[in-house]
Amino acid sequence: MSTHAPSASPSAYQRIYVWELPVRFYHWLNALCILVLTVTGFLIANPPAINTASEASFSYWFGMNRFIHFAAAYVFVFNFAFRIYWGFVGNKYANWKNFLPLRWTQAKEVAKVLRVDILQSSNTPLVAAGHNALAYLTYFVMFLVFVFQVASGFAMYANMSDAWFPSLFTWMLPLFGGDAGLRQWHHLATWFFIIFTIIHVYLVFYHDYVEGHGVLSSMAGGWKFLPKKHVDGDGKSRFSGQRAAKPAGAAPRSPS
Amino acid sequence: MDILTPSPSVDSRDTTTVYEQLTSRGVSRRDFLKFCGWMSACMGLGSEGVAQVALALETKKRIPVVWMHFQECTCCSESFLRSSHPIVADILLDKISLDYTETLLAASGHQAESVLHQTITKYKGEYLLCIEGSVPTAADGVYCCIGGRSAVDIIQEVAAGAKAIIAWGNCACSGCVQAAKPNPTSATPVSKIITGKPIVHVQGCPPIAEVMAGVLVHLLTFDRIPQLDALGRPKAFYSRRVHDTCYRRPNYDAGLFVESFDDENARKGYCLYKMGCRGPTTYNSCGTIRWNGGVSFPIQSGHGCIGCSESSFWDNGPFYERLGSFPGFGIETTADKIGLVVGAATVVGATGHAILTNIRKHHEIGEQPGESAAQGPSTSAGESSNQGGTQS
Amino acid sequence: MSERIVVDPITRIEGHLRIEAEVKDGFITDAWSAGTMVRGLEIILKGRDPRDAWAFCERVCGVCTTMHALASVRAVEDAVGIAIPPNAELIRNIMFCVQSIHDHVVHFYHLHALDWVDVVSALKADPAEASRIAQSISHWPKSSPGYFSDLQKRLTKFVESGQLGIFANGYWGHPAYKLPPAVNLIGVAHYLEALEWQKEIVKVHTIFGGKNPHPNYLVGGVPCSINIDEANAINAERLAMVTRLLEQAQVFVEQVYIPDLLAIAPAYLDWAAIGGGVKNHLCYGDLPTNGFADVARFKFPRGAVLDRDLSRIHAVDPKDPSGVQEFIDHSWYSYSGGEGKHPWEGETTFNYTGPKPPYEHLNVEGKYSWLKTPRWKGHAMEVGPLSRMLVGYAAGHAEIKDAVTETLAALKAPPAVLFSTLGRTAARGIETRLTARWALEFHQQLLTNIRNGDSRTFTKEKWDPSTWPTIARGVGASEAPRGALAHWIVINNRKIENYQLVVPTTWNGSPRDAKGQRSPYESSLIGTPVHDPKLPLEILRTIHSFDPCLACAVH
Ligand code: HEM
Ligand code: HEM
Ligand code: NFV
Ligand code: SF4
Ligand code: SF4
Ligand code: F3S
Ligand SMILES: [Mg+2]
Repeated sequence: MSTHAPSASPSAYQRIYVWELPVRFYHWLNALCILVLTVTGFLIANPPAINTASEASFSYWFGMNRFIHFAAAYVFVFNFAFRIYWGFVGNKYANWKNFLPLRWTQAKEVAKVLRVDILQSSNTPLVAAGHNALAYLTYFVMFLVFVFQVASGFAMYANMSDAWFPSLFTWMLPLFGGDAGLRQWHHLATWFFIIFTIIHVYLVFYHDYVEGHGVLSSMAGGWKFLPKKHVDGDGKSRFSGQRAAKPAGAAPRSPS
Repeated sequence: MDILTPSPSVDSRDTTTVYEQLTSRGVSRRDFLKFCGWMSACMGLGSEGVAQVALALETKKRIPVVWMHFQECTCCSESFLRSSHPIVADILLDKISLDYTETLLAASGHQAESVLHQTITKYKGEYLLCIEGSVPTAADGVYCCIGGRSAVDIIQEVAAGAKAIIAWGNCACSGCVQAAKPNPTSATPVSKIITGKPIVHVQGCPPIAEVMAGVLVHLLTFDRIPQLDALGRPKAFYSRRVHDTCYRRPNYDAGLFVESFDDENARKGYCLYKMGCRGPTTYNSCGTIRWNGGVSFPIQSGHGCIGCSESSFWDNGPFYERLGSFPGFGIETTADKIGLVVGAATVVGATGHAILTNIRKHHEIGEQPGESAAQGPSTSAGESSNQGGTQS
Repeated sequence: MSERIVVDPITRIEGHLRIEAEVKDGFITDAWSAGTMVRGLEIILKGRDPRDAWAFCERVCGVCTTMHALASVRAVEDAVGIAIPPNAELIRNIMFCVQSIHDHVVHFYHLHALDWVDVVSALKADPAEASRIAQSISHWPKSSPGYFSDLQKRLTKFVESGQLGIFANGYWGHPAYKLPPAVNLIGVAHYLEALEWQKEIVKVHTIFGGKNPHPNYLVGGVPCSINIDEANAINAERLAMVTRLLEQAQVFVEQVYIPDLLAIAPAYLDWAAIGGGVKNHLCYGDLPTNGFADVARFKFPRGAVLDRDLSRIHAVDPKDPSGVQEFIDHSWYSYSGGEGKHPWEGETTFNYTGPKPPYEHLNVEGKYSWLKTPRWKGHAMEVGPLSRMLVGYAAGHAEIKDAVTETLAALKAPPAVLFSTLGRTAARGIETRLTARWALEFHQQLLTNIRNGDSRTFTKEKWDPSTWPTIARGVGASEAPRGALAHWIVINNRKIENYQLVVPTTWNGSPRDAKGQRSPYESSLIGTPVHDPKLPLEILRTIHSFDPCLACAVH
């Protein structure tokens, strides 16, 4: 009648290592970069009136601010590139295939998450060791925005730099009718990150609060705590989304 | 009347070179070389370029030029006439043969039409076509007619035999003000109508006189199109943003900004970024060549750049906001407004969701049956919680 | 037997103008003037920030660049109640004068002169004779026999090259050309000199507005700051350059333009009886010296003259709903209702009903132009330098009256000659003398203000749209080189709800109204002699005397 059968015992919980160190490292460095890029970006957009110096040569704060933006941009790009790499060599929770709900099970899970967590029209517990399928999808969308932000940023940066990397993106300019148009979209995309972060952090707390599986701390230590019956049996799959398809000795899931 | 009516003949044209023309007009060899030096510097050719330019001007013949006006304000022509280097105005009168331009042509009506016709047939494949203005394509072209023919029709005819096309100014390059939303006449830039011909986009509203002259001289001197950027603009004049050559840039980097027109900071010449200056997103030579013989340029005279050499700059306004209204979202919709609205909605949504969670998921929250060793195998609380859970 | 002739394109003007005329027994019996290009600026301006409008409007025309910007900032300032600082007014006035001088000189030499000066005849001139005449009429230094003979050689060589460029197919040798060869040679010399000169005077715009064409304007003042102790602002060097440029401009006007005008006019006194046109003249006035609200202290007085009656000045109020109105009976627009509309209620909706291009003739019974037809209290009005001089004369404005009288004395002609093609061309010259003089006066005043410690050029009050009333209506009037110009704005919730321009060339070049009253172009052509209907030289003379600007007229 319910997943939480009265027969459950304390030992039904298992500690699993979900987020490997590189993923955690990536996550926090990424979060830091985005914080820095957003703050410096908004300063670029709306510089405050700090007219303390009477001579331009006494100060370089605005130039420095832009420098930090560009420096953080490079860190951000390489960190992101690293995460893509890790999507191929990391554990199954980190695998790139999770990010697109191409499999039927993933698609079903997306619908389910919407029902359970977002609309709350269902209370069927939903347990995911990695992210749930909707979360993965959201991260994928976010990665696309990362790509846009990098491409637009470097396209604008290209003419301030002699490096070859930024010049790879100059094709963006005509596409957006020139720098002015591109800059506005770059600015708008910043809001995507802000809004993503609000939702993201809220949902992390939500899951931790509602499910108590240690999601919040998982990005620090790497471990989550899940009911045993939801944990993969063979542990060999490199794809976390297959979990639902091969529940190892799990009780039948409740109808919902 | 007869002396001047005979159509220009190729042979007599070949008898005078630009240099001969100039010297016959009292321009000294020294001035001539000075001009060549200036031109080659403008075209980024350095000192070896001087000889090249000089040689070309000494040997090349006058190229016939047809200059068409469509939907425009004639400002590009006006700007062209302002070319300030001591002998540029002369050079342009003598170096090219400006066979047709409605602004200056002595003949009108049928006589004007026949001049045009003679040039484009006689010099088929040889003449340079300059276009000022956009072409309205809506309603069979009735929004711009000359001599009873539509601009859409005329441009096809004059472009067919042109050796190359110069699109003067924002109108011809990207439609300019008449193409600003809602573009009531479907004002269309040249490159969207004419294909298969080299087109040089000399951007600006209007372009700087010396840039216009420079492009012409380049075409004449090297007989080929200058290097263009991704938007078809000659790199020699459009590869740098106004911001990168702006003399107020140190103030920008130092964060010293004008906060209001004519405030203390404006009187010290601080950066105009916060007054909406579009220098950071505009490619033009205003900071280097400047205007009207190098006298000044918009920023030097206290107004921000409005981005007049960028396509669709009219719809990137309002001009006094640093970031324009968001394209496609209408006026007064900045990226920040969109962001703030969606952000606020998100916070409200999350708060609502949190409250809902505490109501709907009341029973899931906290300890679940069997989760705690101390709790024992079964509790009635667990039962009821599950009941609550499955009701939905 | 009458014949319909078509002149399209009319060249040496701004824009796309078509004239159709009925010629009978060597005279024009009827005429139709059509503007054949439209851009829809009034539609494009809707919904935008009123503080940006000047930049859009400035692009209406690059020949009278700045005029629409000026009218536009005035309209917004009038709507929301901004009074600009005195220095801003002075700088705007200086820029106004510079525009007027530049435009008139360029018109005279590059757009109009070839109607009177036969370039080919100049080849036959005796340079010594040209020199003698030049020296007898002016102190201008470039007047030696050697100078003229060098020029003539250059000209000969040019003609012999066979590539005649802009002079190809001109009306050379036409019997209507009356000047002796030597004067023609002087005309050609000054054509070229004026081409060089015109790029200097506009540098005043560059200093105050950053560039020319299309210098920058600003609602609430002017964008340039004055700081005589700063390298980055309008300082002593900049101000001194303005002084020099204005002085040089005045010298050119006094020593080249005016003497040429007075040398050419006597050969064409028959044109003082041709091309009179409508008998009414309108002038909004301009060059304020105590704020735009104080009309009494304008340098160009405001008013209307009806039926050539110079003894009466009629009061003009651009805000009067029954004063200025625009009609579309013969224009390719439609109205949602009503006949004439005051511009605050004006509408711009395209409604092309003409023939599908290519066409031979327009349907002049129906709609036939992109210009609307403006009327003042139902009258067709002429606007322009002539109207300004006449209104100033009638108003008893001392400086204007003296300048007019002096010129008439030099031509030994009575005031009646002013109502003509020649009169229009002469009035433009008279006016240029005045604006060249006034520009220096304004500049002197500016220097005095700065010396006295006032360097304000902008008022921040009401810059922020949140300080504006929800609904605001304003008019920005001006006297553009071609005549009375005004913009009407309706602001709703800080955005442009309606924006209408009624432009000098709209007044002069519009199609007739419902009552069949002809506007100035059409009316002035009637009675013009035409020697050879295939060669429209005479039509060009009269039409050019108005200095048409069609980009302005239609916008
Ligand atoms: C999450 C990542 C990023 C965020 C949130 C962000 C945010 C911003 C913001 C808000 C602005 C101000 C835009 C304006 O109002 O004009 C800006 C400007 C800019 N950003 Fe980013 N940005 C990010 C990544 C990047 C990257 C990867 C680059 C690559 C180089 C970059 C390059 C730039 C450049 C060139 C500017 C214009 C600065 C200037 O010209 O002064 N940004 N960014
Ligand atoms: C206080 C701030 C944050 C906390 C507590 C936090 C926590 C977490 C946690 C617990 C997860 C794993 C979620 C799961 O298991 O489904 C996660 C994943 C993720 N977070 Fe955050 N996060 C924070 C800020 C951010 C920020 C600012 C960003 C970027 C804008 C971000 C981007 C991501 C991404 C992309 C993932 C997926 C990681 C991967 O699979 O590679 N996080 N975060
Ligand atoms: N008509 C006109 Fe203008 C002038 N002068 C307008 O205000 O020319 Ni382009
Ligand atoms: S580009 Fe600008 S300046 Fe040139 S014709 Fe068009 S509106 Fe006028
Ligand atoms: S004034 Fe404009 S172009 Fe110059 S530094 Fe400032 S933002 Fe850049
Ligand atoms: S407005 Fe145009 S003129 Fe130059 S400074 Fe900006 S590109
Ligand atoms: Mg109008």
